[in-house]
Amino acid sequence: MHPDKPKHAFEPKIIAFVCTWCTYAGADLAGTSRMQYPPNVRVLKFPCTGRIDPVFILKAFQQGADGVLVSGCHPGDCHYIAGNFHARRRFAVFRKLLEFVGVDLNRLQFSWVSAAEGGKWVEVVTELTEKVRAMGPMSEFKELALEEQWSGAINTAELKEAYNQI
Amino acid sequence: MSRIGVFICHCGENISRTVDVERVAQQVGRLPGVAFSTDYKYMCSDPGQNLLKNTIREQKLTHVVVAACSPRMHERTFRKAVEAAGLNPFLCEMANIREHCSWVHEDKEEATVKAVEIVGMMVERVKKNRVLPTITVPVTKRSLVIGGGIAGIQAALDIADCGHEVVLVEREPSIGGHMAQLSETFPTLDCSQCIMTPKMVDVANHPKIKLYTWSEIELVEGYIGNFQVTIKKKARSVDEDKCTGCGVCMEKCPVRKIPNKFDCNLGMRPAIYVPFPQAVPNTPVIDRENCIKFKTGKCGLCQKVCGPGAVDYEQEDRLIVEAVGAIVVATGFDLYTIDEKPKGSMIKGYGEFGHGKIPDVIDGMTFERLASASGPTGGRILRPSDGKEPKQIVFIQCIGSRAREKGISYCSKVCCMYTAKHTMLYHHKVHDGQAYVFFMDARTPGKSYDEFWRRSIEEEEAVYIRGMVSRLYQKGDKIVVQGSDIAVGVQVEIEADMVVLATAVQPQKGADTLAQKLGISYDKYNFYSEAHAKLRPVECATAGIYLAGACQGPKDIPETVSQASAAAAKVMALFSKDKLEREPIVARVREAGCVGCFACKKVCAYGAVEEKEIRDRQGNLIKVVAYVNPGVCGGCGTCQATCPSKSVELDGYTDEQIVAMIEAL
Amino acid sequence: MTPIDTSIYAAVSAAIRAEAQRILTEGQVSAVVGYTAARRKGSAQPVVITDANDAARLIFTPACVNNLAVYLTKAKKEIPKKGRIGIVVKGCDLKALTGLMGESQLKREDLYLIGVPCAGVLASTFDPARELTADSIAPKCSECDAHLPQGCDFLPPQTPATPALDRKYAAEIARLEALTPQERWAYWKEQFAKCIKCYACRQVCPFCFCEQCLCDRNKPQMVETTPRPAGNTAWHIVRAMHLAGRCAGCAECERVCPMDIPLNLLNRKMAKELKELYDYEAGFEVNDKGPLTSFTEKDDQSFIK
Repeated sequence: MHPDKPKHAFEPKIIAFVCTWCTYAGADLAGTSRMQYPPNVRVLKFPCTGRIDPVFILKAFQQGADGVLVSGCHPGDCHYIAGNFHARRRFAVFRKLLEFVGVDLNRLQFSWVSAAEGGKWVEVVTELTEKVRAMGPMSEFKELALEEQWSGAINTAELKEAYNQI
Repeated sequence: MSRIGVFICHCGENISRTVDVERVAQQVGRLPGVAFSTDYKYMCSDPGQNLLKNTIREQKLTHVVVAACSPRMHERTFRKAVEAAGLNPFLCEMANIREHCSWVHEDKEEATVKAVEIVGMMVERVKKNRVLPTITVPVTKRSLVIGGGIAGIQAALDIADCGHEVVLVEREPSIGGHMAQLSETFPTLDCSQCIMTPKMVDVANHPKIKLYTWSEIELVEGYIGNFQVTIKKKARSVDEDKCTGCGVCMEKCPVRKIPNKFDCNLGMRPAIYVPFPQAVPNTPVIDRENCIKFKTGKCGLCQKVCGPGAVDYEQEDRLIVEAVGAIVVATGFDLYTIDEKPKGSMIKGYGEFGHGKIPDVIDGMTFERLASASGPTGGRILRPSDGKEPKQIVFIQCIGSRAREKGISYCSKVCCMYTAKHTMLYHHKVHDGQAYVFFMDARTPGKSYDEFWRRSIEEEEAVYIRGMVSRLYQKGDKIVVQGSDIAVGVQVEIEADMVVLATAVQPQKGADTLAQKLGISYDKYNFYSEAHAKLRPVECATAGIYLAGACQGPKDIPETVSQASAAAAKVMALFSKDKLEREPIVARVREAGCVGCFACKKVCAYGAVEEKEIRDRQGNLIKVVAYVNPGVCGGCGTCQATCPSKSVELDGYTDEQIVAMIEAL
Repeated sequence: MTPIDTSIYAAVSAAIRAEAQRILTEGQVSAVVGYTAARRKGSAQPVVITDANDAARLIFTPACVNNLAVYLTKAKKEIPKKGRIGIVVKGCDLKALTGLMGESQLKREDLYLIGVPCAGVLASTFDPARELTADSIAPKCSECDAHLPQGCDFLPPQTPATPALDRKYAAEIARLEALTPQERWAYWKEQFAKCIKCYACRQVCPFCFCEQCLCDRNKPQMVETTPRPAGNTAWHIVRAMHLAGRCAGCAECERVCPMDIPLNLLNRKMAKELKELYDYEAGFEVNDKGPLTSFTEKDDQSFIK
């Protein structure tokens, strides 16, 4: 059907956490407008970005997501008055934490997509998919999961001494 | 063990064109917990819904996933069908394989794989769904209306006419508000008092309306359907039950020279007074600050002359608690006094225009009182300074409004029309006078409005000058007005006898304090915010509280009355049921885990989180935990994401449900 | 190594003893939480005294490392709640107490705060009898801006020495920030891999006052509980996030970690970000809301598309 469509060696898994009133509806609009975007994204619907716990992002990476998108209503448009404002602070801080422990922030995208922005949804999802595809699989958390025990070096004098005495 | 039924919809060909629905049904059918899986042409059709209902009964299904269009489209449809088959509606979930899959992908293989995953995710989620009973909240079918201007009066009358009790609270001694002050009203020029006072009397006589004037809102507790409102009834010093309104007290009062606020301080009133003769209730109030009895302990004349013995110097402020189910806020507007920069205000003021310093520079409301037949001049346009009739009068529009550099960027909406009206009233009363209007634009949308404005120019001979006034000063008994006519490109100088400033419409003083008591939001100007600018223009985001009139933004009378009736309709819709039903997507606290840090309370935009004491059988306090009032909770779940121990959970979006979905990936 | 002057500690100890004795005698408090000498030479340990005669046992030395605030939190339930309680606090400890008050865990009127003018305490890796120097001082003290706790009920009048020291965490954060994400991941992977999930960090933290920790839940299991690298990493990330905007910087987690994981580094990094983003710092004033339970409409959103 689409002979020109490029086949990629790696298809990333993208998980999107979205609010139901704006971004989910925006994604619906992309559908009703028959826009096309890569099929890599799986959408999880929340009432509000305020409900999205940073642990979910961590969990998504642990479950093998190569990229994570969090998207909700533009500031001032929150159906629940201020949920997105709280989410904005929470994620501003959380992404700094992830960055500090060594997660490449190119894998974690945040966006405001309104119910009218089907086009923006397509753009955000496509861009993230392509970016993550180019980066290759998110192996860090997967590798961790495969390790059975602590692999840390015994690097303090006290520990070495204690270990040698065993 | 769950017995999940999965129904894959073809949506005609909308889904089946790009998604191999049979394969999806087959693959999903193999997932643990799935007892039944099928595909069907149109799930939302009658036969489709019957298939769903029958299968639930025949297969004894415990949960249902319908893979079809967006839940925003048909979730309600399928949940209803599931309920009809005897299952709790919240045990049904939809998997969106149309908007999020078949419509946005062309490759059938890719789309099918994605559809299987989407449905698989929802299967895992639905396993964790719990039975959620619909939440019902009892409704007290009484309503509070705050503000007794035209908005509050209209809302109160509409609600009361439907048979529901109304508590109407007004801060001033009489209801009537600003409309009672107006002379005539645009665009028909009917006398404001003539159309207003009958409504005021209707309020006073209505068996379903309980009127508290000279009263203020002290405290608002509770939530939609169940508010407890504490009203402070200020001491009037006159017993309303005994007073017959004869007015002898006012005649005999020796203090006579107190500027009357109702007449924009042009007229005088005694210390015991009603603000205007048609006041409702027609019961005087003693202005304790100016009363000799209260100042020195002497006098007491009014008490002596009062036949029924209604004057009571001992009266004190009283607190009254009223239980209501809905609140209409109709606190109206105030005109911005442009004398100088008010303290702590973001508005810069118009000191340069001499208001407050040059006596014949007045604002629009003062002009209304001059033009009013019941006003201090008996309806004659006379200068406050010397009582002479002004022969040249200048009106300046947009004073404060649309002046970003002065702090207000909005249009006050009514000034163009009332200035046009003023020029007409002036021309009717001073036949040989000339009116000039400085204006930026004439904004006259509204039924018969532009015609009205044209009439002021074409028939009533007002001269409109497009441009602003740069300078204004007193010269002898004239006021020199210098401005520019930008249409012609020349400087204009007019020696006027009187200048009328169309000052900006602002929310009533204390609007912010009241909003905080009510728990409603307001903008930077203190106008109250509606829940949605287009689709919910009379509701506050706080459930059970509605807006009417200029407290929400500048409005003219027809618009105010419409909104008041709309707010009344909303109240009546709420009162049409004995119990309020709401979707049970609300947060619940797991008290065992809650340590009472109240992070949830801090982030809750609805004020739904309360503090609850847990005590043992001896009554000793064990701990204080959070409690979410299901009547107030908006269901956003911000509390749960914030709670460190996850001791508050949003029903319908629990961590279990979400983690199940993530783990299905 | 440059010694740090701790000569005031003797006078401070005497003042603490006198005050503790007074408030216990007068019945102002039911107990005083403080430090006393432990068995090992020079070492100190927390003590709860209820008898005025025991006030003489109280000390303050560079070995008084513990943050005593933890004993007043709900999860620990160390001290029976009866009446007002006196507590000896260094500046860093008081910040923690202040945070706990902001989170409705403690009430100011239930506490009698005995402040300590503090020049610093020893790092946990040094012999408790050792002299306090720029080298042996606890890393948190190298960045201390709270040598004098504010708003105490009692504060000895001595002025502590506050020599400028190399800011140890700031330097380490800067070093890590300069690395690539892969290098940072490798660093933290090695650190977290050491974790044995003893939860000493949680036990000692004044802000881990939850009675049921999220990470102990199994429906759903948010964080893997076994001491494997994946679960360890998740645990430390979740803990750092939960402390963001709350941690007062007492560094007790790092001190008690038997595996020497630089846990306070994560907390300092978060504190740095919160300062930059929202101008928030843990301090001596009780705030109604923390930086992550409040917002402004103008908050940074440059990271949001």
